[in-house]
Order: sequence, then structure tokens, then C-alpha cells
Amino acid sequence: MKELADNIIEIEHVSKKFGRVVALDDVSLTVERGEVVVIIGPSGSGKSTLLRCINHLESVDSGRIVVDGIPLTQAKNIDKVRAEVGMVFQLFNLFPHLTALQNITLAQTVVRKTSASEATSLARDLLAKVGIPEKADAYPAQLSGGQQQRVAIARALAMQPRIMLFDEPTSALDPEMIKEVLDVMLDLAREGMTMVVVSHEMGFVKAAAKRIIFMCEGHVIEETTPDGLSLSACKEERTRQFLGKILS
Amino acid sequence: MTVKTRPVQNKTSETTPEEKSLWQRLDRWWLLFVGVVVLTLWLTQTRPDPYRRILVYLEDGLRVTVGVTVVSFVFIVLVGLIGGLGRISKNPLIKGVASVYVEIVRGIPLLVQLMFIYYASPIVIRGLGESLAKSWPAMSARLIAIKINPFVAAIVGLTICYGAYMSEIFRAGIESIPKGQMEAARSLGMGYLQSMRFVVLPQAIRMILPPVGNEFVALLKDSSLVSVVAVADLTRRGREFMASTFMALETWLMVALVYLLMTLFLSRIVAYIEERTNYSR
Ligand SMILES: Nc1ncnc2c1ncn2[C@@H]1O[C@H](COP(=O)(O)OP(=O)(O)OP(=O)(O)O)[C@@H](O)[C@H]1O
Ligand SMILES: [Mg+2]
Repeated sequence: MKELADNIIEIEHVSKKFGRVVALDDVSLTVERGEVVVIIGPSGSGKSTLLRCINHLESVDSGRIVVDGIPLTQAKNIDKVRAEVGMVFQLFNLFPHLTALQNITLAQTVVRKTSASEATSLARDLLAKVGIPEKADAYPAQLSGGQQQRVAIARALAMQPRIMLFDEPTSALDPEMIKEVLDVMLDLAREGMTMVVVSHEMGFVKAAAKRIIFMCEGHVIEETTPDGLSLSACKEERTRQFLGKILS
Repeated sequence: MTVKTRPVQNKTSETTPEEKSLWQRLDRWWLLFVGVVVLTLWLTQTRPDPYRRILVYLEDGLRVTVGVTVVSFVFIVLVGLIGGLGRISKNPLIKGVASVYVEIVRGIPLLVQLMFIYYASPIVIRGLGESLAKSWPAMSARLIAIKINPFVAAIVGLTICYGAYMSEIFRAGIESIPKGQMEAARSLGMGYLQSMRFVVLPQAIRMILPPVGNEFVALLKDSSLVSVVAVADLTRRGREFMASTFMALETWLMVALVYLLMTLFLSRIVAYIEERTNYSR
């Protein structure tokens, strides 16, 4: 069968177990090019696992994932897919022994074999884009949480990915820093980046999301749009309960 | 085995106790080091016979001890790196081989390992050579012709033994780096070995350096065991001198002083490295 060109991510009947814990149970999901999809759901519902399957940080037990036409099956494809998919983690995971600038240039020079000067100039552009051009030579330990997360976003963008995955990018941040990170993400969304975001930040969801996916116990139980994001519009009782908590 | 880390010192509190303990340690070390140097000089100056004579006699052995230690150490670090990576490998075969190696070697005394390599392994190689006589005569002849050089046996023995301990140090160091570091590197498209080389190992080195330094000091001392496999190291030269002069006290005093001078000096360097890696955090 021919792949539909505008479905940049296709997840078909994916299941994943950790020992006896079922993290994903027959999940199917497609994401169109340029779409911003937000995944929400209670803790342990498999949101992170689903995201991590998309760039194969976790392998799936069954089912099929195709990213930008590349099936995630053979080892050879994996690094190729990963370079196309940027990932931003809850705890930033910056490289502490490297400066902000070096964090951003490392993968460019190692994976893409970009020259040092080219990588550096792209890194400086990206630091300016995320609003901290003056922090190029700072080490992660010298940056605030919000600044670290923005460096992490710049680091992922340096690989010029087609897709960006965000796993609760603001949940480890103090409230006053959340906005600076969300603003960067909103800019990205406006530029047409395909984004899959696990986040309970309703401000971001309303401003940027095209679709909202509810997960519960490893299933996608409901799908809606930001406009339909009201308690009464949800069909599932569990979704209503969960929404009641995060909307209040 | 875990990598030793000292509790993080509280920098906001007054710095006097911290500085004081540093001075106390400096004092004690200098006292000991200067004491050993003075004792050695005093002995060789006031009684050149036998002490200076012993020292001159030991010189060749000292060179051998340092040479065997340094050369072995290079191989040990290599084996430790490979063994450590093997121990954390996801491939069950590689992991199994590395684990079995570490477990076997750690269960056998170094002296016995050296004896085995020097005295027993030639028999094994010979037997192997003879069994190949029909099927692969060229290889068979080559195997039978192998003579084990004492130096090679010593370096191989020390490398196999210390490599196992070093593997554990590397493994613990690599495992002390949060998983998220490897994941972040991989998610950028870097391969496993690239991620190790550019992200994990540079961070692990800081953890690993102090215990690796301690291993070097321990190796220097344990290298005295190679004297049993016909390597003319410091210890063996001491034994030879004693055998010809019957001056047991004087001989072993000098041998002990020479080892002590080296280990005191080296452990000071290790302590310095340890301090630096702690303070720069
Ligand atoms: N590496 C792992 N080993 C074992 N179990 C795991 C592992 N990763 C996830 N799990 C389990 O899989 C299930 C789904 O986890 P996942 O992290 O995807 O949930 P989540 O929706 O992201 O939750 P949270 O909101 O707390 O981050 C949970 O039960 C979790 O305990
Ligand atoms: Mg999660």
C-alpha cells in the first residue's frame, strides 16, 4: 500500500509491555504534517511510552510505526528516524560537561558531519531564537530550569527535525519559567512544525493544539479538538473525571 | 562495587574546617614523605656499605618494576574500558562473556593466575599444537615453538587480573551517569558508541579517575608478585641480593623504602585528583 504523504507519523496497533505492566495496548494514531497533537491522560497511562516509541527509545512488542515514510523496524532506520525527530525531555537532559553552545553543536558535527563553524553559527541563531543568545558559553548548571529547557529545544532543533516530541517539557519548571518555554513552543507551532506534546498546560493546548488525545491505561480513549474541550462534550466518564481535575 | 564519592561539602558554611582538614592532611603526608626521604638519605650517606650498595643493586629492578607497571596499566585501562562496556551491553553473549571473565578472575588469587600463565599455559598451548599436527601443521609447529617470555607472562597476567577489577570500575562509573544522558544523545541521532564517547564517558571519567589512580598504586605493589615468574623486578633483585649477602634486614628495609617512596608520591597525586574532581562539581 502507498503511504499517504501528509501522514508524517503513522502508529498502527502498537502494544508494549514492561514485564507484566501493559503500557500501550493496541494504540493507533496518525499525525499529519504540520499538526500539533497534544496527549493528555493520568499518570501511568502510557503517554511517555507512546512518545518514546516514536523515536524508538522503546521498542514496540507488536504493531507498526512509520515516521515520514520510514518504517521503524530495521536498526539501520532508527538513527535516520531519530535525526529527523527532535525530543525534549521533562528533565532537560542537557549534557552537563558541555556549554550551551557545545550542547547544540555536538550532534550536528558528530552525526551530520557539519563543519564546526557552520554548526556554531546555526547554534547561535537557535540560541537567539529561544531568547538566550548571551548564554552560549554557560554550562547547564549555571542556567535556570527555563533556560536549560530552551537550550534543550535549541539542541533538538539544530538537527533540523521534521517532528518535535515534547514529554511534559514544563512540569519540572517553576511557574514563572513555564511561560518562556511555552512561548518558544508556540512559535514553533506557528512556523508549522509537526509537534506531539505531552502536556497538561491548558493555555498551550488551547492556543496551539489541533487535536487532543486522551490516554488511559494504555489506550487512546478519546480524541477531541480544543473547542470541544469541555466536560459536557466528552463521551467517556473517565475523560470527564480527568478533565475536571486539570481544568479546575 | 561502587565508585567512591565523598559527600558534597557545604560551601556556604564557613570554610575553616574544610581548609583545616586539608592542611592536616598535607601536614601528615609531608611529614611522612619527608621522613622516608630523610631516612633513606641518612642510611645511604652514613652507611654507604651496605645501603648504597643495595640501592645501586636494586636500580635495574626498579626500572623493571616501573616498566611492567606502566605497560600493564595501559593494557589494563583498555581491557577495563572494553570489559566495562561489555558488562552493560544489551547483547547477552557479550554481557555473558564479560561477566564470566570478571567473576572467574576475581575468584582466583593473582599469584595463582601468574603461576598458571607462566607454568601451566605453555603446556596447554603445546597440547593444542600437538592436536593440530595433522589438520594444520603450519599452525601446529608455530604453537609448539612458542616460548613464554617472563615479561610477557607478567604483563598478560597483571592485565587479565587487574583488567577484571578495572572493568568493574568502568561499569560503575558508566552506570553512575543518568540514563537520560544516553537517551538524549541517541534521540539526536548519535549512535551507541558515539553517545558513549562524546556524552557518557567524558562524564564518567570524573567518577572513575580516583579509583583508577588507586588501582595504579595497588598495581605497583602487586607487581612484586611477578618476581615469582622469573621477572627481575625490584622484589626479585632484593631476594637475589639477600641470597648472596645474607643481609636480610638491610635488604628488605631498602626495598620497602623504595616501594614506599613511590606509593606515597603516587597516592598524593591521586588525592589531588580526587580533590579537584570534587571541587569542580
Ligand atoms: N522502563 C520501564 N520499566 C518498567 N515499567 C515502565 C517503564 N516505563 C514505563 N513503565 C510503566 O509503563 C506504564 C506507562 O508509563 P508511562 O511513563 O508511559 O506513563 P505516563 O503516562 O507518561 O505517566 P506520567 O504522567 O507519570 O509521566 C506505567 O505503568 C509505568 O510504570
Ligand atoms: Mg510520562
